[in-house]
Amino acid sequence: MSCGKKAAAQIVLLMAGAAMLCFGVWRGEAATVLSKAIKLCLECVGIG
Amino acid sequence: MDKKFSGVSQTMSRFRGWIQAGATLLTNLHLPNFLKGGLYQGAGKTVCVPGLNCYSCPAASGACPIGAFQAVVGSSKFSFSYYITGFLILLGVLLGRFICGFLCPFGWFQELLHKIPTKKLSTKKLKPLTYLKYAVLLVMVLLLPAFLVNDVGMGDPFFCKYLCPQGVLEGAIPLSLANSGIRAALGKLFTWKFSILLSVIVLSVLFYRPFCKWLCPLGAFYALFNRVSLFQMKVDKSKCVSCGKCARACKMDVDVTKTPNHTECIRCGMCIRACPTNAVCFRYGFGDGKEKENAATLRENNNKS
Amino acid sequence: MNAKKILALLLGAMMLLSLAACGAKDNDKQADMSGDGSAMTGEPKTTEEALALHKELLERENALLSENAELWEKVFMEADKGMAMIEDGKNYGDFLLDTVEGAKEQFTDKEYEWLKESATEISNIENKLTELEEKYPEIMQESVDGDMSMPAGSDTSTPPDDGSMQKFPGFEGKDLDGNTVKSDELFSANAVTVVNFWFTTCNPCVGELAELDALNKELAEKGGSLIGINTFTLDGDEAAISEAKDVLAKKGATYQNVYFDSDGEAGKFTTNIFAYPTTYVVDRSGNIVGEPIVGAITEKKQAETLQKLIEQTLAADVG
Repeated sequence: MSCGKKAAAQIVLLMAGAAMLCFGVWRGEAATVLSKAIKLCLECVGIG
Repeated sequence: MDKKFSGVSQTMSRFRGWIQAGATLLTNLHLPNFLKGGLYQGAGKTVCVPGLNCYSCPAASGACPIGAFQAVVGSSKFSFSYYITGFLILLGVLLGRFICGFLCPFGWFQELLHKIPTKKLSTKKLKPLTYLKYAVLLVMVLLLPAFLVNDVGMGDPFFCKYLCPQGVLEGAIPLSLANSGIRAALGKLFTWKFSILLSVIVLSVLFYRPFCKWLCPLGAFYALFNRVSLFQMKVDKSKCVSCGKCARACKMDVDVTKTPNHTECIRCGMCIRACPTNAVCFRYGFGDGKEKENAATLRENNNKS
Repeated sequence: MNAKKILALLLGAMMLLSLAACGAKDNDKQADMSGDGSAMTGEPKTTEEALALHKELLERENALLSENAELWEKVFMEADKGMAMIEDGKNYGDFLLDTVEGAKEQFTDKEYEWLKESATEISNIENKLTELEEKYPEIMQESVDGDMSMPAGSDTSTPPDDGSMQKFPGFEGKDLDGNTVKSDELFSANAVTVVNFWFTTCNPCVGELAELDALNKELAEKGGSLIGINTFTLDGDEAAISEAKDVLAKKGATYQNVYFDSDGEAGKFTTNIFAYPTTYVVDRSGNIVGEPIVGAITEKKQAETLQKLIEQTLAADVG
């Protein structure tokens, strides 16, 4: 029955992942990501 | 049906190089930006790409999950990113380290370097180093950007800033070549990160995927999900003749017959091609695929084909 | 990168030497120089020659001023403290000479000697320039406009833009407190305007705010100014403005921060900037001086470049 357990775990994780993603978008994280990603992050790429 | 999937596995593994090239191209669609020395600034960058691909790469079509995570965590508004974590959990469950083996541009880069003909060294004895990447994930990506903050509550993207060689390869080098203002800005940090990139390049020629094995926080995250991933390795015990060829073929030091869903397995499929009896193949779906009724139907299908 | 820098320095040094070939003579016999500066170079015969000569002289002057920037900085500080800015018509070199003389005890003998020599030479150059301008009034506008984009000193290795200076795009916007700001009024009121582009979640940008504030205060004494443009606040986004104000207050930055419409000329200019922070130096007529400085001025290299551009602009404005 371990197989059923694994499938259950997979489904739970998928749902948790989707829920977290939606929550993150809802509280405005996606906008933060976009604002950072379209500008050159000088410290990120190792300049200066 | 079983045989057919085994055939698919063979094909996938054989054309892996092309899939990697295609994935790298899709991840970096805006090629003209290399000449312009600018970045793509469209809404596509709200979404992350699966592999490690710097979003400061002129051509990048999406955001780097690790970079984006640190950007969110390091901003004064948030100290954890549900958006990126959720996204990575989804990808981890759906694909696991298949992403490392097939979709990651930096993984492909290291593999190409490894094709340079020199004496190759084994990483079997360096196994403890594989745990380093979890420390990188925990400390440099999760904790330091969230908690080591300045007076305004902003943290540095520690992994990006001090460790990530992909940022130099895709960001700093092409941008500084095309843009004199950026060239003038190169400083000590660039020297440090350029040395890291050089070391990774040299190590990649000698070892197979050293960065993936030892340092990559994204690989570490996906590794945690390899066991529950829908994409898995399947070994047909009835076909296996225990010749050990698969374990010898594996460049990630995994014995697929003992631990088919090992954290280090990047689903490259070298074991599939090494197996003389076609006992190893990819499997995609919920559960283990080892249930009795399933096995029965498989046997039935085998008999049919 | 270093190799390139060294190359640039070498080229710069070579240029200095070749220029100094005519200037050195003056230094040797500066005591009996009456200041007419006719020994500097041959008399120009045509307007073009005059223009070229004018340009060369200005370059030489800028080179002198940027050669020992720190030392001059001291002199300028002294000048600000001590006397009013030069009266109309007085030679800039003489003004410098007076200042150096007045602050003699601040320098070592060697420094003093060098400053005195340089100031004398600048005085000669200035005389010659005035003479040229009187003789050929038409060169005045062209030369001043066309020349100041030339980075001074060691940077002369970069190709000059042949008189086509890039204007900083005009804008009509507001500061974060809602006061109207017009670019032409702003620039013409200041000998030099430093424009810093930043955004609120950019770590290095926020890191340099305090230093920019200090620079603004320093510039105010020299008749210059510094403004910030927070890209999040464009089009007057209320939430972004209050966040930006918050960060500025936390960093103790009091200088003016400006926003304008993102679809205007300056708005489009801003969208094309993708590396942050980026800092521009703008002169009184609204021209961008030198290359934009990419990266925070908390780094030594960026701070030096900025200082150099500021001094160059100030020197050009007074001259």
